[in-house]
Amino acid sequence: MTWYDSFLQQLVDGLVLGSFYALVALGYTMVFGVIKLLNFAHGDLYMTGAFAGFGGLSLVSGFLGAGWLGIFVAMLLAMLAVGCLGVVIERVAYHPMLGAPRLSILITALAVSLVLQNAALALTGGQYTAFRTDLGFGGFNLGNLFLSHNQIVLVATAAVLMIALELFVSRTLYGRAMRAVSIDKDMCRMMGINVSAVIAVTFFIGSGLAAAAGTMAGAYYGSIWYFMGFLIGLKAFTAAVIGGIGSITGAMLGGLILGLLESFGTHIPFIGSEWKDVFTFSILILVLVFKPTGLLGKSEVERM
Amino acid sequence: MGKFLKLIASAAVVNLAAGSLAMAQDGPITIGVQVPTTGSEATYGKDMYNAMMLAADEINADGGLLNGRQIELVTGDTACDPQQSVNAASRLASQEVVGVVGGYCSGATQPTLKTYGDANIPFVIVAANSTQLIPANPGNAVMINSTGDDQAKTALEFFEGKDIEKLAIVNQGDAYSQDLANLTRDAWTGAGHTVSAFEYVNKGEQDFSALVNKIRGSGAEAVFWTAYYADGGLLIRQLRQRGFQGTIAVGDGSNSPELFNIAGQAAEGVFAFSNPTADFLPAAKQFTSDYESRFGNAPGPYAPLAYDGMQLMAWAIDKAGSTDGDAIIKALNSADGQEWLAGPISFTPQHTLARSNFVVLEGQGGKWTRYEE
Repeated sequence: MTWYDSFLQQLVDGLVLGSFYALVALGYTMVFGVIKLLNFAHGDLYMTGAFAGFGGLSLVSGFLGAGWLGIFVAMLLAMLAVGCLGVVIERVAYHPMLGAPRLSILITALAVSLVLQNAALALTGGQYTAFRTDLGFGGFNLGNLFLSHNQIVLVATAAVLMIALELFVSRTLYGRAMRAVSIDKDMCRMMGINVSAVIAVTFFIGSGLAAAAGTMAGAYYGSIWYFMGFLIGLKAFTAAVIGGIGSITGAMLGGLILGLLESFGTHIPFIGSEWKDVFTFSILILVLVFKPTGLLGKSEVERM
Repeated sequence: MGKFLKLIASAAVVNLAAGSLAMAQDGPITIGVQVPTTGSEATYGKDMYNAMMLAADEINADGGLLNGRQIELVTGDTACDPQQSVNAASRLASQEVVGVVGGYCSGATQPTLKTYGDANIPFVIVAANSTQLIPANPGNAVMINSTGDDQAKTALEFFEGKDIEKLAIVNQGDAYSQDLANLTRDAWTGAGHTVSAFEYVNKGEQDFSALVNKIRGSGAEAVFWTAYYADGGLLIRQLRQRGFQGTIAVGDGSNSPELFNIAGQAAEGVFAFSNPTADFLPAAKQFTSDYESRFGNAPGPYAPLAYDGMQLMAWAIDKAGSTDGDAIIKALNSADGQEWLAGPISFTPQHTLARSNFVVLEGQGGKWTRYEE
C-alpha cells in the first residue's frame, strides 16, 4: 500500500467515523443551544436508539427484509420512538429544573444517563446483542482503496439527515423559533413564542438523530450492548466542542474533523492504535484551553 | 494496655473463635463462586456458575461433605472488572466462605488473590490463565487451566504449520490478553519470524477501521486476536469486510458460540485455541446431557473446568477432613493426577496445572469444530 492509497483509506474511514460523531454531536449542540445544558444522557439515547432500531428491524424484516430498506424503516421507527423518549426525559427530568442552578441540571443529566444505561443492562443482562442484517461485505476495490457499499450508504444517509436538519433550522418557522430561543428565551416568551414547545421539538430532533446514528452503527458494526453509548457520547461531546458548542454547522464540522483526526492520528509514527483515545481527548483539552468557543462558536460571557 | 484489658480482649477472641467454630461444625459449607454474571463476559460467567451448581447439587445429593454437611454456594459478581472483583472478593471473605471457586477474567482475578490470601481462603482458579497470576499467588490458590505460556506454544506451532511468516497480534490491554499477546510475540520472534503489527484496542470500541488498515498495510499474513469474543467478533467482521484474506485465529477468550452471532459469516474459517470444551471431552458426555436437561442449553467452553473446580474443591475439603483453610490448601496441592472431566489434575510447585490442555478449533457452519492438521 502506497502512502497515497493509505491516505485515501484513512480519509474514507475518517468520514464514516466522523458521520457517526457528527450525528450524535448535533443533539448535544442543539440541546445546549436552547437550554444551555450539556445533556450527558445523549450518548445513552444513541444506545437506546440502537436497541430501538434492533426492535424495529425485527418487526419489519418479515415483510421488508433486513437489507437497507428494512433498516431505513427500522431507523425511522427508532428515530420516532427515541425522539419521543427524549421529549419525555426533557419533560420529566429537565423541565422542572430549568430554573435551578446549572450544576443541578447537569447532575440530573448524569442521573438520566445512568438510568438509561442500567435499564438497558437489566433488560439485556449485560450481553451483546447481535444486530443481524442481510447487508453483505461487498464494495469497490479501487487499487488498494476499499470502499464498501455500506460505508457509502451510511455517509449518504448521514449527509441527507444533516442537510434536512440544516434546512429545517434555517428555513422553517420552528427552526427560526429554535434559533431565537437559543439567543434569548425571555424575549421569545414576550414575543409569544411557545418556548416550551420549541424545547420539546429540539429534544425530539436531537434524540431522533442519535437514534439514527445508533441504528446505523448497529447495522454497520453488527452488535449492540448497553455500554456502547458511553465512549461515543464523550467523543461526540468533544466533536461539539471542537465545532463550537451551540453551533449546528460546528457540530457537523467538529464530528467530521474528529473522525478524520482519529483516523489519521493512529498512523502517526510511534503512535499506535492504543493512543487513539488519548489523542482524541487531548484535542478536547487543547481546544478548551486555546479556543474554548470552538471553531464556529460564538463567545459568550457565561459558560458551564 | 493494662493486663485486665488484654484479658478481656483475648477472652473475646476465644469466644469469637469458639462461636464461629461451633457454627461452622454443623451448618452448611459455604463456597464462594467468583464469576462475572453481568457485563460483557456474563455469558461465560453464568455458564460457569451453572456448571458449579450442577457439581454442588450432585455432591449434596450424594450426602454432602464431612459427614452430611451440604454445600451452599454464594456468588460474587466480578463483572470482569478489577475494582468490582475486589469488592466481590471482600464480600465473599466477610461471609466466611470455606473456599472460593471461579475466576474467569485474569485482570479481575489478579487483585482478588491478595484478598483471599490475606484471609487464608483456598481458591481454585478455573478459567483465568494469565501467567501474571503465578507470581501474584500468595500460595492459597491453584490454577486448573493451562496458562498463557502453553497457549503461546500452541499458537506458534499452529501458525508455523500454516507457513506464516508475518503475524499481526492484537490485544485489549487487560492482564489476560496482553499477557498472551506478549508471550506469543516473544515465542514468534524467538522462532525467527516477524511480528508485523503489535496492536492494542480499547475495550468497547466499535470502529476498528484504522487498525484494520494498519494490519493490511503491514503485510501481515495472519492475525491473532488474544482478547475476548465481543470485540473480537467486531474485529473479525471488519477485517473480512475490508478484504483481509489471511488466516485469523483467536485466543481462548473468544472461543464462544457468541462469536458467530457477532461476526456472522466472517467467523467461518476462523481458528480458535481452546481449553478443552465439553464437545471434545469423552469423559464429559454424562455432564453434557445433565447440563442440557437442566439448563436447556449446551454447556459453554468453561463449564467442564468450572465443574471440575467445584469437584476438586469438594474433594480437597473431604481429604482435609475439616474446613480449615491451611488443611484444604494442602489437600488441593496434593492432587496427584486423578482423572476429572477435563483430564488429570496435578500441580507444579507454582500451583499451576502440570500439563497443557489446548486444542485448535475451526469455525464451520456457525459453530466450532475440532481442527485436525
